[in-house]
Amino acid sequence: MNAVLVVFLKELRDAARDRRTWMIVIISSMIAGPAVLLVLSNFIAGVQERAAKKEIVMAGTQNAPTLVNFLQRAGATVIEAPHDYESQLRTGMLGNSVVIPPTDFEAKLARGETVEVDFLYDDSHDKAQPVVRASLRMVNAFNRELGAQRLLARGVSPQLLAAIAVEEKNLASSGSRGAQLLFIIPWVTLLVSVAGAISVAIDVTAGERERGSLEPLLMNPVDMSAVVLGKWGVVGAFSALVVLLTLTGFIGAMQFVRDETLSAVMQFGAREVGLFVAMLLPFCLLVAAVNMLAATWGRSFKEAQTYVSYFTMLVNLAPLVPLFLTNRDAAWQLFVPSLGQLMVLMRALRGEAVGAFDVFMPGAICLALAALCLVLQGRLLRREEIVFSRA
Amino acid sequence: MIEVEHLGKSFRARVGRRAAQVRALDDVSFVAQDGRITALLGPNGAGKTTTLRILATLMLPDQGRARVGGIDVVADPRAVRAQLGVLSDARGLYVRLTARENIAYHAQLRGVPAADIDARLAPLAELLDMPDLLDRRSDGFSTGEKMKVALARALIHDPSHLILDEPTNGLDVMSTRALRRLLLHLRDRGKCIVFSTHIMQEVEQLCDEIVVVAHGRSVAHGDAASLRAAAGVATLEDAFVRLAHLQEAA
Repeated sequence: MNAVLVVFLKELRDAARDRRTWMIVIISSMIAGPAVLLVLSNFIAGVQERAAKKEIVMAGTQNAPTLVNFLQRAGATVIEAPHDYESQLRTGMLGNSVVIPPTDFEAKLARGETVEVDFLYDDSHDKAQPVVRASLRMVNAFNRELGAQRLLARGVSPQLLAAIAVEEKNLASSGSRGAQLLFIIPWVTLLVSVAGAISVAIDVTAGERERGSLEPLLMNPVDMSAVVLGKWGVVGAFSALVVLLTLTGFIGAMQFVRDETLSAVMQFGAREVGLFVAMLLPFCLLVAAVNMLAATWGRSFKEAQTYVSYFTMLVNLAPLVPLFLTNRDAAWQLFVPSLGQLMVLMRALRGEAVGAFDVFMPGAICLALAALCLVLQGRLLRREEIVFSRA
Repeated sequence: MIEVEHLGKSFRARVGRRAAQVRALDDVSFVAQDGRITALLGPNGAGKTTTLRILATLMLPDQGRARVGGIDVVADPRAVRAQLGVLSDARGLYVRLTARENIAYHAQLRGVPAADIDARLAPLAELLDMPDLLDRRSDGFSTGEKMKVALARALIHDPSHLILDEPTNGLDVMSTRALRRLLLHLRDRGKCIVFSTHIMQEVEQLCDEIVVVAHGRSVAHGDAASLRAAAGVATLEDAFVRLAHLQEAA
């Protein structure tokens, strides 16, 4: 039997008997996928619901019956604010704004004076933004209506004040507001590809040495490349397995969510699943090779975990990069592993075109870097201080 | 036959903050004949393990040369490994695999046909008194049990040359006897066996040839009787202390 295959089958059997491997496989694939999708769809539905509800929160409804009356006529529900509304706004518990009319609201209004109304909100909570804008628009509508009435009372056409008529048309449906969070889906698949590789990668490298089985293994008359390739195959296979299970989890959860809002936000049909697989498999192979290289350098299981975690952190941080880009679809990202995957997969989810080059280039780069890592690992394993100890 | 000529090897090591060269092997030479058991006898740190690692092609010598079955260890390490069985210092097993699976893995890597593995393993397991171990996972094996599996793993391809690094370390009497029985059996079949040890008893009972190693040099060789005569003392232990000490004084 071919030595690569012998090593592959042995490592496969060994990893498949490791409870740690399966813990990670189950946690990251079965749970992460559906959980992320449920949270996402919940979030999007929540934003829509609240924007549709037209709720206005007011501190001191009794001070401004005219305003309350106007708002109710406009179809809004006016709610008295809780007494600790400031802290609730800050923590995001109160996902809206609070309108605070002064106590002399009605008196000033009657005298035709300008009444200062406080409009409190906290725009650090993304979720609240559309709701806050809707509330502000309604309060402003009261302002316009009353102003128009006053002008009419003086025989002036309110049209004079409107040199231009601004009509707001927000192209973002509440759906595409949720789309800002869509990056979570490709990002989670990248994360699980790393999670699936880590424990197996460490076990077949640093673990092999810590157990004292590396030395006997290297005394067999086989090429170093066979040993490295066989191990790489298993690590890559587990990484890919976790990714495939996570995708299956996504597809399964989509059936349960059956949420129009979510399907309006993202495309996740056969084409997208195919693209995910095509983009992620080469990435899994790279993840496997990098993790193995890092873990070979590590003297012990623990040290290996440290080195591997540096790499994991880079993947974790990948979605931050586009935030700082003026063009979130900048093509150079195709050449950077994990950024390229994120960008192309986001485009796929948004239903945008993905060309052959967009799939080929990131994949080719992943495979080239993986090959480099494997060559380096082979070199490391030929070094006496790596095989024995590094004093 | 294993031939070692003037082997030398240095390591980089840290002495305080500075890197320094530590001379592990200075000048080790010996010849181990087929059908004989040759012991490398020496105190801890004498260079026994380094010598054996060079023979096993895991380390490259800085100077000198070594041949296993006439093949140079530097020129063609793969061919050397193919005719060697090694029980190294590190005798780790895969704890999630059974003893049989551990041994079969190495057999397959050495190109033993899958169909032959069990047939080859049966007599080995009998000799090592370990048939009941074979289908247990090696997690939790005792030192003796691990040694038996590691030894079976090193012998499954029926190598013509056998290298053992302190094979009796941590073994109880029964396991030591099983090992001794096996080595004598292999010697009688014409294998070339080299093992390192610092235990005198073992050497006297088992070895045809003794190479005394001290401070990275081979300082004497011969059988137990000739070493005692050369040192002019009554026991091998005294002979060893004297020979090793002479080297130190020199």
